[in-house]
Amino acid sequence: MIELHRVSKVFSVGPVKVPALSDVSLRIAKGEFVVLTGASGAGKTTLLRLLYRDDVPSDGEVQVLGEDVASLRRSEVAALRRSIGVVFQDAKLLPARTVYENVAFVLRVLGTPKREITPRVFDALRTVGISARAQAYPAQLSQGEAQRASLARAIVRQPSLLLADEPTGNLDDAMEAEIIDVIKDIRAGGTTVILATHQSRLVRALRRRTITLDGGYLLKDEG
Amino acid sequence: MLGFLIGEALRDLRRAGRVAVSAIVLITLSLAALGGFWLLSANLARAVANWRERVRIIVYLKREPAASEAPALVERVQGVPGVASVVYLSKADALKSLKEILGKDASVVAQLPANPLPASLEVTPAAAAATPDGARTLLRNLQALPEAEEVAGSADWVERLSQWQRLVTTIGLGIGAVLAVAAILTVTTSTTLILHARRHEMEIMRLVGAPEAAIRLPLLLQGMLQGLLGALLALGALVVAHELVAPRLEPLVNLTLGLSHLQFLPLASLMMLLAAGTLLGALGGWLARGRREP
Repeated sequence: MIELHRVSKVFSVGPVKVPALSDVSLRIAKGEFVVLTGASGAGKTTLLRLLYRDDVPSDGEVQVLGEDVASLRRSEVAALRRSIGVVFQDAKLLPARTVYENVAFVLRVLGTPKREITPRVFDALRTVGISARAQAYPAQLSQGEAQRASLARAIVRQPSLLLADEPTGNLDDAMEAEIIDVIKDIRAGGTTVILATHQSRLVRALRRRTITLDGGYLLKDEG
Repeated sequence: MLGFLIGEALRDLRRAGRVAVSAIVLITLSLAALGGFWLLSANLARAVANWRERVRIIVYLKREPAASEAPALVERVQGVPGVASVVYLSKADALKSLKEILGKDASVVAQLPANPLPASLEVTPAAAAATPDGARTLLRNLQALPEAEEVAGSADWVERLSQWQRLVTTIGLGIGAVLAVAAILTVTTSTTLILHARRHEMEIMRLVGAPEAAIRLPLLLQGMLQGLLGALLALGALVVAHELVAPRLEPLVNLTLGLSHLQFLPLASLMMLLAAGTLLGALGGWLARGRREP
């Protein structure tokens, strides 16, 4: 499903080279739930960005769904991303569109036939437990609801891989538990999940395979 | 998908607000100026064509040929390069013409002891010879005829009118081009504002793997819509201006250029103006297309 072979990523800030990932190798099988942890700046977000090809490695090889992501053409990158759902700490909902429109937007830009859009959007909203708020605008949602809407948008295309970058970072404990339950449900449907978090309490609570990064290096891979 | 793209383009147009209105106004001004000068130039071209058709060269003959010799002379002149047609006017024909011109004063002709008017050939130049150079060559060739006493006529002033027409076209193109550049830059500015306003949408679209066309086409389409709206307004302005001004100008135009009326632009030209507007808008939208991914 996912394979990283001696992957490094170095950012250039003027003349200064800043390593974000160094010599990381790992393998994630289909259907796994993997927690990616480490302190801020450990390289979690960089690693996720390499997986959905928002960036390319400076060295090494990143294989996602059987594709060497660095060598993909633009149209192939788009095709890869159609199989990947991404959620962030900030829900990134479009403020001028309702929850329904935010989720439907994804299907519309991908050219989904009109008659399929409404049932698929409501399926996704039901999965994350927010169908009653379909006509609400993002400003009218709690942070937990906004994150659920963001998850609905990520899963409405039924991706085979879900990348969640600190999805509970802004939430209180109760909301965090709700979001984690939703992500577990999504994984139960067969989706591979990689959840990045710096919260050690959450890592312990999840009791899943945990990959720990430290200063860009893979420190531990356990569980 | 097309419905989605057009819907997004209209949403973008609303987002651009006043800047889009400025761009549309500039496109309107640009195409109205271009169309106005084009209209003027097209009517001058009609006048030039009319006057070119009316260019005549008169060959005054040394002596009046016998009635039996005239057809052969006409046939020979007809063969001179640059001659479209030849009409023979006998001395009697010339006198008759003079009487017609004099009208009620024609009786003075009766006082003449003899008909003083020479026989002549009225030569209509072919289109290629109705230019100053062509007319001068034709004059030389006709002058060389042994029967010719004097040759009169020229196409110089028609050419001067033609030069005015070209000048009007050039001025129109110049003003239109300057305004068009301003219009393109304004569409680019409004599209840049739209790009800023829809950066979150574009981020989401890229994230979910939308085709690049679905991301960029709305930008191009809103530019084209601005251009098309500007062009439609320009055509409306031209129609109104023509309806209001043409009836007042026509007597003057008739007197000076010999045109009975000022014609509006033909359908093909109107379509070209619409296409030009759409193209200007598209160019503005394309120039502001924003960054692509690594």
